[in-house]
Amino acid sequence: MAEKLGVYICGGCDIGANLDVDALAKFCADGKHSSAVAVAKSNPVLCSPEGKAMIEADIKENGLDGVVCCACSPRAKWDVFKFGDKVQVERVSLREHCVWSYQEDPKFPGQMEIIAKDYCNMGMTKLINSRIPAPELPTAFKTVLVIGGGFTGMKAALNAAALGYSVILVEKQDTLGGKAATMYKSFPLGAPYSEREQEIGIEQVIKDVQANDKIKVITGATLESLAGAPAQYKATIAGQEYEVGACVMATGWVPGKGEFLKPLGYGSIKNVVTAAEFEAMAKKGGIKTADGKTPTSVAFIVDTSLLMKGVSFGACGEACEGPEEMPCKEGEAAEEGECESYVYPDKESAKHLAYSSELTSLVALKQANYVRELAPDALAYIIYDHMMVPGINEKYYKAAQDDPGIMLTKGTVASVSEAGSAVVINAKNTLLGENVAISADLVVVPTAIVPTTAADPTMNFVYRQGPAFPDLELFDGFADSNYICFPYETRRTGVYAAGCVRQPMGLGLAAEDAAGAALKAIQCIESANRGVSVHPRSGDLSFPEFNFTRCTQCKRCTEECPFGALDDDAKGTPLPNPTRCRRCGTCMGACPERVISFANYGISQMGQAIKEVKVPDTLDKGGPRIIVLCCENDAYPALDMAAMRGKSWSPYVRFLPVRCLGSVNAIWVADAMSKGIDGVMMLGCKFGDDYQCHFVKGSELCNRRKENIAESLGRLGVEPERVEQFEVSIDMYDKVPGLIDEFVRNITTNFGPNPFKGY
Amino acid sequence: MSTTVKVQPDLKFVKELQAVGGDSLKKCYQCATCSVVCPLSPSDSPYPRKEMVWAQWGLKDRLVNDIDIWLCHNCGTCSTLCPRGAKPGDLLAALRNMAYRNLAPLPIIGKLMSSSAGLLPLAAVPALIYGIIWIIMAGKLGSFLPTFEWDEAAHGWKAVSDGMVVFGGLFPGDYTIDPIFILVFLFMLWGFFAGVRNMLKAFEAQPKTFIVGRKKEPCFIACLIDTFKYEILQHTQFNECNDEESDELDQKRAGGHKMLMYAFICLMVVTGVVASGHWGGWFLTAIGIESLGHIVSAIGHTPMPLYHPIKLLAFVGAGLGVYGLIALTKRRVNLDQEKQSSSWYDWYLLTLIWTIFLTGLGAFVFRILGVALLAYPLYYVHLIGVFMLLAYLPWSKLGHLVYRTVALSYAKKIGRIPMGDAK
Repeated sequence: MAEKLGVYICGGCDIGANLDVDALAKFCADGKHSSAVAVAKSNPVLCSPEGKAMIEADIKENGLDGVVCCACSPRAKWDVFKFGDKVQVERVSLREHCVWSYQEDPKFPGQMEIIAKDYCNMGMTKLINSRIPAPELPTAFKTVLVIGGGFTGMKAALNAAALGYSVILVEKQDTLGGKAATMYKSFPLGAPYSEREQEIGIEQVIKDVQANDKIKVITGATLESLAGAPAQYKATIAGQEYEVGACVMATGWVPGKGEFLKPLGYGSIKNVVTAAEFEAMAKKGGIKTADGKTPTSVAFIVDTSLLMKGVSFGACGEACEGPEEMPCKEGEAAEEGECESYVYPDKESAKHLAYSSELTSLVALKQANYVRELAPDALAYIIYDHMMVPGINEKYYKAAQDDPGIMLTKGTVASVSEAGSAVVINAKNTLLGENVAISADLVVVPTAIVPTTAADPTMNFVYRQGPAFPDLELFDGFADSNYICFPYETRRTGVYAAGCVRQPMGLGLAAEDAAGAALKAIQCIESANRGVSVHPRSGDLSFPEFNFTRCTQCKRCTEECPFGALDDDAKGTPLPNPTRCRRCGTCMGACPERVISFANYGISQMGQAIKEVKVPDTLDKGGPRIIVLCCENDAYPALDMAAMRGKSWSPYVRFLPVRCLGSVNAIWVADAMSKGIDGVMMLGCKFGDDYQCHFVKGSELCNRRKENIAESLGRLGVEPERVEQFEVSIDMYDKVPGLIDEFVRNITTNFGPNPFKGY
Repeated sequence: MSTTVKVQPDLKFVKELQAVGGDSLKKCYQCATCSVVCPLSPSDSPYPRKEMVWAQWGLKDRLVNDIDIWLCHNCGTCSTLCPRGAKPGDLLAALRNMAYRNLAPLPIIGKLMSSSAGLLPLAAVPALIYGIIWIIMAGKLGSFLPTFEWDEAAHGWKAVSDGMVVFGGLFPGDYTIDPIFILVFLFMLWGFFAGVRNMLKAFEAQPKTFIVGRKKEPCFIACLIDTFKYEILQHTQFNECNDEESDELDQKRAGGHKMLMYAFICLMVVTGVVASGHWGGWFLTAIGIESLGHIVSAIGHTPMPLYHPIKLLAFVGAGLGVYGLIALTKRRVNLDQEKQSSSWYDWYLLTLIWTIFLTGLGAFVFRILGVALLAYPLYYVHLIGVFMLLAYLPWSKLGHLVYRTVALSYAKKIGRIPMGDAK
């Protein structure tokens, strides 16, 4: 608890021009929190060296343990307003939330001062109810476990070893090398990117791994189980237990099943082979038809439209529904009898062909070059719907195009049939202007990249939420939770995916992945041992604290944690694993007994802050009041940007940033309603199968809980429409003010005052 | 719904095309910018986009039978604006070059005409013929560089020292020029006849287009006359080739070509008058109408005085020709090689015509000045040049004067391009 506060009102950036900053300082010093306020001052430019020196002098002189900076958004000047780890800082955004975004309502002019006072009180209250977190510091195992001894895994192992970490490299097969060792060559991996094809040099990588004394290679083995938490994992490999800090999952891919290729004649026509089979042919040194002859023409089908018939890319389908029951733990199953044995559904489908389309294009170009190299008299045809060669690989396409022996056309393959020993491809919509029939001695159909996680839990976690990554249906089995913002990240802190297990990719990208995932694993170890969060709240010292005396073992927190951070005991009491935790507070939002809080972000702390909003007794005496709980990852920055760009909104709203909408506890809404607040707006990220939530499930869970809240409000005679959640992305600065104004208008015109107002 | 066409790619043909000037055809990625910017291309299956993909796939049958290559007048706009540097204009030029090579019979000549390596054997034929004649005549006249005076009695040239330079004295027209060139001319006609027959056969084999609202198909003769009237005499299509963004050299191109063509017409008239005067007079005299025969002979008598209207016409032709040659050469020299290049066919023809004009003028000047040492060799080279121009015409780029005329007429007949000067 901060007990000696310094409150500072900045006069810069238009604040001083619109507000009486000295009067505001006096308000803070003499107001309801006067007992905790040791110093309250204004300063023309608080972030100036003089301003900062003034605060530092006050801290020294008065022994302040909390500083409330009433200036700009916490997203600005964060590097200025920090005063060591003994002094807590609360930022009150007068500039963005009060001055810049202020909109005068002729009915009740002069609201700006009221807004400023509310925010100052909220800021002081938050700090008064906040503690400095004191995490436990675990002894971290500094070993990186790399699963998969293919190109990506070996590169990751070498990267981690180069940075001084010991590595355990586990490979299922008896030899290292993975898929790269079965390839003849690769498409270009370096400048000028237009060479025919390139040696991979996998033998050298294997040699480097074997010669590195920091890397312990275990072949012919898999990860049988992974128990514990980041920095303190116990990994069981080939029956033996190893102490591991973090993992890189580079388990790669398997070729897609032949059944999905049937429409292209695969399996029924002898001279139709897959790209993987063609690669093996080239590796053995000869391109041959089924009769053992060198073909005079080889056609590569890149267009997969015939294979995609009836495949829908709409909403996630079954995945959206989610499993009814959490998978059972071994041993538990027999007792409860709910589920006999854990079944991991195979997520492979024809869609994997579509997901692999970039590689299908590049591999077709590469293998067309094989034809030119290994059978120089033969022609190579490529029939594509989209030649997907993004970025620098365009040069590779151009180079292939320049070869007179490689003939390319756009086209939709209508059928593949046998004609003697040759294969005839009928294609529509071709560049040649008409439907064409192309005869080839050998036809190569695409090979889908299917991640190993599509059919197997792979990591075999000993977690309450089961042995596999959750919700991989959303990604058709690819081990990826949010690839745009956070590559390598999975739904399990401490396990970082690299290579084709997370996205179909070539060796160039895989090498980058290996480096990225190895660094993430190291970051995880080096964060866990300092007691801080890894991601996305990197460096956050706080962690959820449980008041177990009041816990009713309802299991909501353990089930809802998006990251499986909480295990539980036989009775159902949660067992926290701080190093698995991402500090989003989804558990705090879930708990009906309100037993979970963070030292500096708690249920009562936020409830107190809400109660600091001064609510006029009736609408006629000063307008409505709306609380806006906004996600600090996307919605809050969007509001800052809106204010910066001169947008304004209703003067009756009060913003309260939250770590994630998942952390919003129903009691806050109840607190607001009992205080006479007319409406609660919740601004969070997009949810659903293409969610943008930084904590994956937060905004979705909030939406689900909101329905319960609305139901409870209904029972109290409060209209459920007073609580509404909106999806806001970070680029919606131009739309957010409209959303706010519309919500305020709706509440005031359609619903009127909160029936509890004035009580 | 169009029917399915079996595609039989021919790698050898692709490589041949690349060799005759379509070297960058593989770069095309079918954006169709070329067809859009082309000022001449019709909206229905426009060129040159489709030719580019046919070429990439080595679809020889389509390309060698394609009429559209003759509709293109090679302004180069497509190549200039091609985002990939695929030079569609060059491809069409290359396809025409292949046509010159393959349309007429005697493929050996086509092959010799297609590269610089064939130049020597081709030039050797007339060089040997007239070399031998020169040697024989020198032996007869006693000098390699004889001078002459008119021998009224013998009604012929007599070799004397200090006489005039007279080409007809060294190479008597009746025996060494006219019979040979008549044979050459007939050979050329035969070449063209076979070439045009092949060409029409190929066009006939192409699928017919049905044009909605078209009246009765015009007869071929009417189309031919229309082509003469507009495309040839007025260069209507060629002039269309320029747009407002064309640079000065490009704009002068159509003009230069027109001037050069008029030059050839002038010189054709001159040759015609001289030939018909000479042989007409002989014929009239032979059948007994002597007085008229003498008059006609006098009209065609060479060397002509400088004020002779036919001589003046020859000067006009020479002037127009040099003007046209300068315009065409200047443009070709200044072409941006990245966008449009010149093939052996282009340079062969330009160089040959330059040679003919310069040797012709040189021979004339030095004849007047009486410098036998320069006049005779220049005349000899002139003869070789004219022989090469005429004898190999169906296999050379100049063959377009027949092939393009036939193709444009045929295109009018089937409605691929409109009649008259409509666009």
